[in-house]
Amino acid sequence: MKQQNVPHLTFALVAIAWVVHFLPLDPALVYYGSAEIASGENWRFVTGHLVHADGDHLLWNSLGLLVLGVLVERRSRRLMALSLLAGVIAIDGLLLASGLDYYCGLSGLLNALLVAALWLEWRATRSAWVVAVAASCLLKVVVEIALGDSLFTRISWPPYAWSHLAGMVAGVSAVWLEIRATGRRTANRVVRMAGPQTRT
Amino acid sequence: MRNLTTMLSALLAVMVSSLFFTPAFAAGLLTPTGSKLPPLEIREHHVDVVIEDGYAITTVLQVFANPHAEDLEAVYSFPVPERAAVGEFTFWIDGEAVTGEVLEKQRAREIYEEEKQAGREAALTEQDSWKTFDISVHPVRAGQDATVRLTYIQPVHVDTAIGRYVYPLEDGGVDEERLSFWTYEEAVTEAFSFNLRFRSSWPVDEFRLPKHPQAAVQQISDQEWEVSLLNESASAQIAAEGGASTAAGVAHRLDQDIVVYWRQAQGLPGSVELVAHKENPQGRGTFMMTITPGDDLAPIVAGRDWVFVLDYSGSMEGKYHSLVDGVGRGLARLNPQDRFRIVLFNNQPREITPGYQPADPETVQRFMDLLLGERPNGGTNLYSGLELGLRSLDADRSSAVVLVTDGVANVGRTERRDFLDLLENQDVRLFTFIMGNSANRPLLEGMARVSNGFAMNISNGDDIPGKLMEAASKVSHQAFHDIDVRVLGIKTGDLTPERIGSLYRGQQLVVFGHYWGAGEAQVVVDGLVSGEPRSYSTRFEFPQTAVLHPEVERLWAFAKIEDLQNRLDYFGDGPDLEQAITDLAVEHGLVTDYTSMIVLRQERYEQLGIERFNQKRVEKEQLARQQRAVQSVRNNRVDQAQPMYSQQRPSHNSGGGAFGPWMVLLLLPLVARRLTAARI
Repeated sequence: MKQQNVPHLTFALVAIAWVVHFLPLDPALVYYGSAEIASGENWRFVTGHLVHADGDHLLWNSLGLLVLGVLVERRSRRLMALSLLAGVIAIDGLLLASGLDYYCGLSGLLNALLVAALWLEWRATRSAWVVAVAASCLLKVVVEIALGDSLFTRISWPPYAWSHLAGMVAGVSAVWLEIRATGRRTANRVVRMAGPQTRT
Repeated sequence: MRNLTTMLSALLAVMVSSLFFTPAFAAGLLTPTGSKLPPLEIREHHVDVVIEDGYAITTVLQVFANPHAEDLEAVYSFPVPERAAVGEFTFWIDGEAVTGEVLEKQRAREIYEEEKQAGREAALTEQDSWKTFDISVHPVRAGQDATVRLTYIQPVHVDTAIGRYVYPLEDGGVDEERLSFWTYEEAVTEAFSFNLRFRSSWPVDEFRLPKHPQAAVQQISDQEWEVSLLNESASAQIAAEGGASTAAGVAHRLDQDIVVYWRQAQGLPGSVELVAHKENPQGRGTFMMTITPGDDLAPIVAGRDWVFVLDYSGSMEGKYHSLVDGVGRGLARLNPQDRFRIVLFNNQPREITPGYQPADPETVQRFMDLLLGERPNGGTNLYSGLELGLRSLDADRSSAVVLVTDGVANVGRTERRDFLDLLENQDVRLFTFIMGNSANRPLLEGMARVSNGFAMNISNGDDIPGKLMEAASKVSHQAFHDIDVRVLGIKTGDLTPERIGSLYRGQQLVVFGHYWGAGEAQVVVDGLVSGEPRSYSTRFEFPQTAVLHPEVERLWAFAKIEDLQNRLDYFGDGPDLEQAITDLAVEHGLVTDYTSMIVLRQERYEQLGIERFNQKRVEKEQLARQQRAVQSVRNNRVDQAQPMYSQQRPSHNSGGGAFGPWMVLLLLPLVARRLTAARI
């Protein structure tokens, strides 16, 4: 995997989240809103993840994005993009299926990135730390779903921990796709290196 | 229907955002414009709020300072808080706190003027219709301070599991005559503090002040929270007294509403709560019953006709283009089968749409261009505007009117009764948004009530997305209409409100009344949902004695006065009704349009033959407050054994998730390892 020096995508996403938050723009125009989406405002599928309920929500999510984004994007921008795309698809699918009226925030996508970061770290180090962090994060999400409340965090909207689980599932899918793609590339490289004599 | 919801929400969003660009006036000390009298100072302003058992008690202590060489009068004015019953007014005379008594308004003013002329200490609290409470204090001695304390109580509602309390300070600036006469001094020169103690029967997940992020919010338990907002002087004062200093801000100006929200835990049941006061087992008791319906109103799927009645009078200058933008954005989202009309009004009304128009993009754009060509000017002929809007309603289609105005009708018919007549004779729902503290709230609420619509209060300090969700949730669901509450098995009377009207999704129903005796009673709530009768009932005990909530008597009296005022508005001038309001207000110590509260030197009460009824009531209430403060949080739910509702109470079906500091901390080992690896 090629090492990226500057995580442009991460910085861009953090900047967008902050700009959206502080622009004199009516946030109600960009939240995920099921009624609004039904009436054709499809941009909310994406913008809903970038807008935040309050300053704390924005601060911690953008800090999380900064850390995870740097960890992932510097090693694989493609995996980062894949994780975000899978996260958007999985979380929006969940929101549509659940009938939730409104949703906002990056945290669901961060959980997709978290899985990607943990996989990259595990692949590089096989460290027990990675397993411990993964277990802790999974436990937190499960407890939050069971309690119907968020742990250690208060934001002005009700917590919706299912989006975190959807993000994790999306992260696993992204990693799986990455492994497959990497495997295929490796195989193709072997094929190319082997040349025409291997063909029958 | 959902498109219509979106449209209404967008309109509300733009209307509210336009408020932020409107110059705000404030609560403050008044000095006649151009007066040679030197202005006084508000040296200290301390607000203590206790919210528990379904009502809020707000105590405002103020110190006025006179740095000049002559005795002066202080006149302090602030917006009337929503449904606030002022029941306690105290003025420190010779270092002693003296409680006020309620008298008929004219008499109280005369006595105050006499005392003022005689150079004796006196203080007066008057109400100027729906607009302001005005406190006059004389004299503030040369080089000295004067301290007054005002306490008011108000029911506190929870809507869609979100509670809201507003300490109103902003004046909407719609009373031009008043604004040209007075100069406002809203700065607190020394200590400002706002402390709120919240105790609830139900667990609360979140507590916040959206426009005051510097406030210190502390969770004591799931059901107890505290909020503190101090400026530097108050913070230093607390620190000097050995207390824990909390969030400190800068010197305070009384020019922004303080809005506090709390969010109940999810999944709470629909419920009935009862708070009662009954001192004598054989006597009469007073109760406040709060009914929180379950979430059983279905979403609406049919389309509607929408009539926009838009104010473009001079007072809308600065808001008008935002308003047009909001209407345009809303109309753009309508379904093709929906229709709309637009009526503008200032001195005269005119319809800019020739009848109902299809909501296709070309038609919408055409009328938006027409609207943008208009320039706000002139007066506010609200009646004619509404009248024109209500013409040509199609009986075969469901219709709703969205009224946008600053709510102060000053041209043409301005009597409230005329407006109520106009709406009561139509099969149409009126949805109106009460913008700021100076809109004619009683008029707008009255119109919404008779049309079975709803009125929504909006402050500059509000969380706008939250209010959007609230409005959207209401117009997108069925409503419970023609509600009637019956209490069977026990003698009750004087139930108020006399006419409940409608409940929209998320709204609570608060009923006050008297009861005699004690024991189990059946409470039945009947009404119509989409024309079909629906009934809910439960059984619970009314207590034989209850002494912890004497304020319920004042709350009942205030609600009863609102009923009488509504009747007065509807039937016109009625000396009997006015006298009934005055008697009720004097008996229960309430400041109204017909009564004021006056504080005199102790001996002057006796000399003037003024009985100290209110002093006794205040002492009783203060004692009860002390007792409540040391008790644990009470659960006032009474329908546990036989729940009135099988469904959970509605809450906003929304969510977000925060990564949070702990998740970031969890990632630190990974970051540390990465950094180490990078160095190697």
